[in-house]
Amino acid sequence: MRALVVEDEPLLNEELEEQLLEEQFSVDCAETLQEGRDLVAGDEYDLVLLDLGLPDGNGLELLKMIKKYYDETVVVILTARGEVEDKVKGLELGSDDYLAKPFAMAELRARIHAVLRRRFKISDNEILIGKLLLNLNHMEVSYGGKPIDLTETEYKILRYLVLNKNKTITRIALAEHIWGSKIDDRFSLDFINSHMKNLRKKLSEAGAPELIETVYGVGYKLEAYETEQ
Amino acid sequence: MKLNNKILLSNLVLSVVIFVLTSIGMYYLVNDTVYDELDNHLLQHKIDIINQVQGDPASLKEIRKLGGLGSYEWVEINPYDGTVEPNTNSFATIDTVRSPDEASSESYRRLATTISVNDQYYNLNIYEEVAAWQNISMTILLSVLAGLLIWILLLYLLNQMVFDRILTPFYDTVDTLETISDPTDFDERFPDSSTDEIDVLNRALNTMMNEIRSSFEDQKKFIQNASHELLTPLSIIRQKAEKILSRSDQLDRQTLRSANEIQETAVRLSRLSNALLLISRVENKQYELDEQVDIAGVTEKVLEELNDFITLKNISLEKEFSEELSVQGNQELIHSAIYNIVQNAVKFSPEGASITITLNGGAENHEFKVIDEGPGIPEALNGSLFDRFKKGNGRSNELGKNNGTGLGLSLVKSICKLHGFGYRAENKEGAGAEITLRF
Repeated sequence: MRALVVEDEPLLNEELEEQLLEEQFSVDCAETLQEGRDLVAGDEYDLVLLDLGLPDGNGLELLKMIKKYYDETVVVILTARGEVEDKVKGLELGSDDYLAKPFAMAELRARIHAVLRRRFKISDNEILIGKLLLNLNHMEVSYGGKPIDLTETEYKILRYLVLNKNKTITRIALAEHIWGSKIDDRFSLDFINSHMKNLRKKLSEAGAPELIETVYGVGYKLEAYETEQ
Repeated sequence: MKLNNKILLSNLVLSVVIFVLTSIGMYYLVNDTVYDELDNHLLQHKIDIINQVQGDPASLKEIRKLGGLGSYEWVEINPYDGTVEPNTNSFATIDTVRSPDEASSESYRRLATTISVNDQYYNLNIYEEVAAWQNISMTILLSVLAGLLIWILLLYLLNQMVFDRILTPFYDTVDTLETISDPTDFDERFPDSSTDEIDVLNRALNTMMNEIRSSFEDQKKFIQNASHELLTPLSIIRQKAEKILSRSDQLDRQTLRSANEIQETAVRLSRLSNALLLISRVENKQYELDEQVDIAGVTEKVLEELNDFITLKNISLEKEFSEELSVQGNQELIHSAIYNIVQNAVKFSPEGASITITLNGGAENHEFKVIDEGPGIPEALNGSLFDRFKKGNGRSNELGKNNGTGLGLSLVKSICKLHGFGYRAENKEGAGAEITLRF
């Protein structure tokens, strides 16, 4: 799959490129609106990460152009402008998702997974890890065919870890994913622990081995090999 | 006291003082003149009598017998008894009766002196009635004073009108100043005036207002730009730290922990930056306030978002929504304000406590109240709770951790100001804090 990163900050651009390469994309990069236009004019991309505040114009211009020619392309807007109007405008113009800077890479990965699956109409939106089956669209989790009853928060934690499998997920990224960035971090981090405790208990009651590994002082990691159905 | 009243009053007081002094002065002056005149008159009589007696000594008897010189004067001539030095004139004002059949005594001016007729001395007393003279002098005095008094009153009324006219531009300026609540909101100009001082004042005010306005705007813009510009580099820091963390199996604990702290700090800094950005956007009025916002609905949504924390802290929630309340404003901002208030209440509530949220009020005052059972508002913060970067140290120590950006309630304040809502925080009796919004 082909991806385009349009971001004027070179370090961030580089970082995004690396992340996408890890996800097996072939990646092109643009640092200005003009470069972006040129690249989009020449090629069709499956995914475009688009910064709005570009030095030579508003990224929304590029979004319009992409949506005009390639309806299939998934566009995720990245912006430091936490402005709702921008978000609404972007979504109206056909962007598939919106991330406010600074975001966790894990969040971006989860969002990309979600939008790509939605875009390419993968109807069986389920991920199987060992015997653990997780539905990405509905709150359904089962282990070895036996359903596990999770709360919404526990489901969100597990889905996030599954979408970011084999990656360390920091507690702060997890808190942000569940409660949004409005929540007071120092206050919310403690709650991650209690939710995680409950989740682990439910998983082990269902007979699952220790899937979630604690990375001491940092966060959690779900180590597994995905087998998609 | 108003300036023009003050000037008028001091004018009046001064006029009255001058009036009183003038009255007293005039009284003595007139009296003096009257007595001088009387005395001259009496002396003239004496000269007349001496002339008469010297020309015709026999007429002395005649004069003694007649006694009177006119209707207001009379003469007494008695043999010399030594009470008066010969050849001296002594004047006195006495109250006496002219003849025993007069009912009341009157004031007379008396000249007591001596005359010699044929080498024999006689006491000569000449009396002249003062009343007639005094009547004239009093009439003059009173009419002059009445004129003065009328002048003072007229001056007062005229001054009032004139001052009002002259000071009108000054009062306009003062009234305008009074209505300014926020210098950035004020875009009127103080007008030019034909009075030099007021013109100087207005020009100085115009200059100052412009300065204040532009520095306020600069400051707000600066905060907005700075917050915005910070987000991209913070993004990079966060992602680089995350990258280190993702190789957790190759690194030792110390490195991991440091990287984690870098990341958490970057996140906190970006939250701070975002909060500042939001506040300055609210203060810069970059939000439309044209939505109808259902307060109860927003509150329910906030409670749902915070439900995890409420459940895990075992907090019992008491809701009293006695009415449907819809206010005009910005949904996102009102949500944000209520979110911050409720989040604070949840944050400061001890395990198992209860939080009461009420929405009620009469026809005029719709109030939204959040009452918690936490430690309450620390004394030191009273009055400045809604200011930026004010944190309850006592509170945070009690909870053993730093809490938040310190911008939550300041955001609530700017959102309320933008919408024209009232906001208030107070301690409940016993324990806990109560935050009230008034729509």
